[in-house]
Amino acid sequence: MLARVANNLFWMGRYLERSEHIARYLNVNYFSSLDAPSELAQSRDFVLRSMLFVADEEELKLNKPLNERDVLYDIGLNPDKFYSIYSSIGFAQQNANGARDLISTELYESINTLNRTVKNYSAERFVKNGLFEFTNLIKSNIASLRTKIRATLLHDEVYAIIMLGVYIERANQVIRIINSKYNDALIEHVNFQTPVKTSYEWTTLLKCVETYDMMRGYYRKAPSSYNVLEFLILNPHCPRSIMNSLNSINYYMSFLTKEERPHKDSAAFLVGKLMYEYRYKCIEDFQEDLKGFIENLVDDLSLVGEKMDSDYFSLY
Amino acid sequence: MKTYNNLPIFSAYEFDSRFYDEIFTEDKQVREVYQTLFKLFSEYSVNDFVSLNNKAKDAFFNQGITFQVYGDKETKEKIFPFDLFPRIIGNSEWLKLEAGALQRSKALNLFLWDLYHDQKIIKQGIVPIELINSSASYLKQMKGFNPPGGIYNHVSGTDLIKHSDGEYYVLEDNIRCPSGVSYVVGNREALKRTLFGVFDHYKSHNVSDYGQNLLEIIESVKPKGVDSPKCVVLTPGVYNSAYYEHSFLAKQMGVELVEGRDLFIENDFVYMKTIKGLERVDVIYRRIDDDFIDPKVFNPDSVLGVPGIFNSYLKGKVCLVNAPGTGVADDKAIYTYMPQIIKYYLDEEPILNNVHTYHCSRPDELKYVLENVDKLVVKPVDESGGYGISIGNKLTKEEIEKVKATIKESPRKYIAQPIMSLSTHATYIEEENSFEPRHVDLRTFTLLGKDKDFVLKGGLTRVALKRGNLIVNSSQGGGSKDTWVLKK
Repeated sequence: MLARVANNLFWMGRYLERSEHIARYLNVNYFSSLDAPSELAQSRDFVLRSMLFVADEEELKLNKPLNERDVLYDIGLNPDKFYSIYSSIGFAQQNANGARDLISTELYESINTLNRTVKNYSAERFVKNGLFEFTNLIKSNIASLRTKIRATLLHDEVYAIIMLGVYIERANQVIRIINSKYNDALIEHVNFQTPVKTSYEWTTLLKCVETYDMMRGYYRKAPSSYNVLEFLILNPHCPRSIMNSLNSINYYMSFLTKEERPHKDSAAFLVGKLMYEYRYKCIEDFQEDLKGFIENLVDDLSLVGEKMDSDYFSLY
Repeated sequence: MKTYNNLPIFSAYEFDSRFYDEIFTEDKQVREVYQTLFKLFSEYSVNDFVSLNNKAKDAFFNQGITFQVYGDKETKEKIFPFDLFPRIIGNSEWLKLEAGALQRSKALNLFLWDLYHDQKIIKQGIVPIELINSSASYLKQMKGFNPPGGIYNHVSGTDLIKHSDGEYYVLEDNIRCPSGVSYVVGNREALKRTLFGVFDHYKSHNVSDYGQNLLEIIESVKPKGVDSPKCVVLTPGVYNSAYYEHSFLAKQMGVELVEGRDLFIENDFVYMKTIKGLERVDVIYRRIDDDFIDPKVFNPDSVLGVPGIFNSYLKGKVCLVNAPGTGVADDKAIYTYMPQIIKYYLDEEPILNNVHTYHCSRPDELKYVLENVDKLVVKPVDESGGYGISIGNKLTKEEIEKVKATIKESPRKYIAQPIMSLSTHATYIEEENSFEPRHVDLRTFTLLGKDKDFVLKGGLTRVALKRGNLIVNSSQGGGSKDTWVLKK
C-alpha cells in the first residue's frame, strides 16, 4: 500500500471516529444537563464550557462569553472551525477520496453521502431544535460506516490502517472525555463542595461513551470515580476503554509488522510496551494523581501517532 | 406549479428537419428501435420526470462522480450533466462501428510504428513530411524505440457523429489520454438506479467489463523479464477534474492509483513508496500528458510527473500506456490522411467515413477556406476539448475577418471541414421542463495490447445542452447519455 494512501486511510478512520465522539458528547451532555441534580450542572454556561473543552480546549482558553447558538453551531456545523463535526466529516471524505481506489465503492459512497447530508443540513434548524436529530444522524451513520468498513473491506493492511486510526482516535477521545468530566466534577466540588468521588458527572461520563448500562451490570453499584475510571481505563472488555483500544492498536499493528520482536524504536514496540504496562496497572496506581495520569497517557498516545508516521507514512 | 406539468414529457418536442433525429423519422414517427422506450417514457408526466431527474443527480453526487470547480472564495462540487433518455444503437449498426473503430486504432498503431522507425509512408509520399516535422507532438527521442508488444495507442477514443444523411462520420481520433469511459459505466449505473424498469424491455450489452479488459491489455505489454507485472494508474491528483475516472479505473482493475510524488527512480527502475518500503512498478497507465510526465525531458516545471521516468521507459524497465509521442498521429491534420493510412497499412477500405477536410497548409485549399469561412468549421490542429473552434455560420462579418487573419498568420495550424450537422436526440432540458432535440456525438473506446484487442460495447454519447450548439465537449457545457448497444 502506498504510504500516502495509508496516511489518508489512517486519518479517514480518525476523523470518522472523532465525529462520532463529538456528536455523542454534545448529545449526552446537553440532554443530561437539562435535569441534572445540581444547579451548576444545569447551567448553560457550564454545559457549553464542557462541550468546548472536548471539541477544542484552545478555544475555551480564549475565555470568551459563551452563547448557546454560537457554541452549538461552531461545534456542529461551522465550516470555518476545524474542530466542527462538519469539518471532521469533510476531512474524512477528503481522505477517503485520496484512497478511493483502495476502499470499497459501498464505503466510499456512504462517506460521500454522509458528507453531503451534513453539508446540506440547515444550520438554523440545528441550533434551534435539531441537536438531537443531527447528533443521532451522525451517530447512526458512523455506526453504519463501521459496518461497511468491517463488512466490505478485506481484513488486510488497508483495514488494519483504518482500524489503527479508529482506535488511536478512540483512546484519545475517551481520555479527553474523561478529563473533561473529571474537570466538571472538580468545578462542582469547588463551587458546591460536592464530593468528587460520587459526582453526577461520572454517570454523565458513562453515558457519553455509551457504557452506562454495561457498567451498572458489571459492578452493580452506583457510579463513582473509582469504578467508572477502572471500567473506562482498565477493563479490556469495555469496548471504549483505553485498555481495549490499546489491545486493538497492538492487534492491528501486527498486520503491518511481521517481526516477532519489533525494533525498539518502532511504533509496534512502543504500542506493545504500553499495552503491557496498562494491562498490569490498577486503579490505585493513578487514583491519587488522575491529572498526571491523563497527561502521561495523552503524551504516550501522541508518541504512538508520531512513531506510526515515521514508520509507515514518512516515505511519502 | 406550472399547469403543463402533468402533460406527457414529449408534448413540447420541436422537430428540426435539417438534422437527423435519432428517435423520430422525418414524418415524426418513432424509429422502430426506440418504440418501446418512447412508450415507457411517454407515460411519465413532467412532474415524474423532474423527480427522476433529481434522483439521477443524487446518484451521481452520492457516488462521488463529480469534479471540483475552484472559485475565489469557495470550491463547488459539480456533476457532468446526465440525460436520462438513453441512446440506443442497434446491433448491426454497432458491428460496423466496432469494426471501424478497431480498424482505425490498428492502422494508427502501425502508422506510429512507421513514423518512429523507417517512415516508409512518408518516403512513399503518402503523408507529407512537413506534417511530421512541424508537429510539436512528434518525439524525436522515440525514434528507433520498440515499445513493449509493439503497441503505442493502447487506449483510443474515436469521436463519431451521425450526419443528416444518416451515416456515421469520424470527427477525430484521440490516442493521447482519451477520457470519459468512467462515465459510460457511471451513466449506466445511474440509469439503472433511476429507471430500472426500462431495462426489462431491451437486451443491451453490459459495459462493466472495461476494467478487466484494460488490465489484461496493460499486463500484456509488461517489460521483458517480468512474469507478473505490477501495474498502476498515474493521476495528476485529487484536484484534477478527471480524478474520479482515474480512481474508478484503478479500482476496476484492482491496481493502485499513484501520483508522481509516490514514484521514485533508482537504477532506472521505477518504484512506488509503500508502507513497507519501495516496491517495483512495471506498467504505468498514465493519465498525465506527455509534456508533464518527466520534468527532466519535457516541461521542466512539471511537478506532476516523475523525474527520469522517460529514460526508464526507453531502457525497457517500465512500460508507459499510452506510449509517449502518440499525439503526432491524432493531430487533426493527420486525420485527413486516415483513409490512405488505413489502406497503406492494412490494405483495407476504411469502414468508417472521414469528414472531408481542407488543409490550410496547401495553397489551393487555403484559398478555398478563406473564401468560404462562413460555410466551414475551422479547427486548430493541435487543440483538444473543443477550444479554438469557429463555426462559420455562427460568425459575424467581423468575426469572419478575424478568423481569416488568424489562419493567414499560420496556415499550418488550421484545417477546415464542411459544417457537419450532428444528429439530434431527445434530451431533457431542466430549464424548460421538457424534452427537446439536442445535438449528440459518440465516443467509442478501443484497447490494443500484445495479441489482444477490445472495443467497449457502448460508448459515451455526449450531448450539447445549449439549443443549436454543436460543441458537445464537457469543458464547453456538454452533458452525456447512457448508450445501449443491443445484443440483437
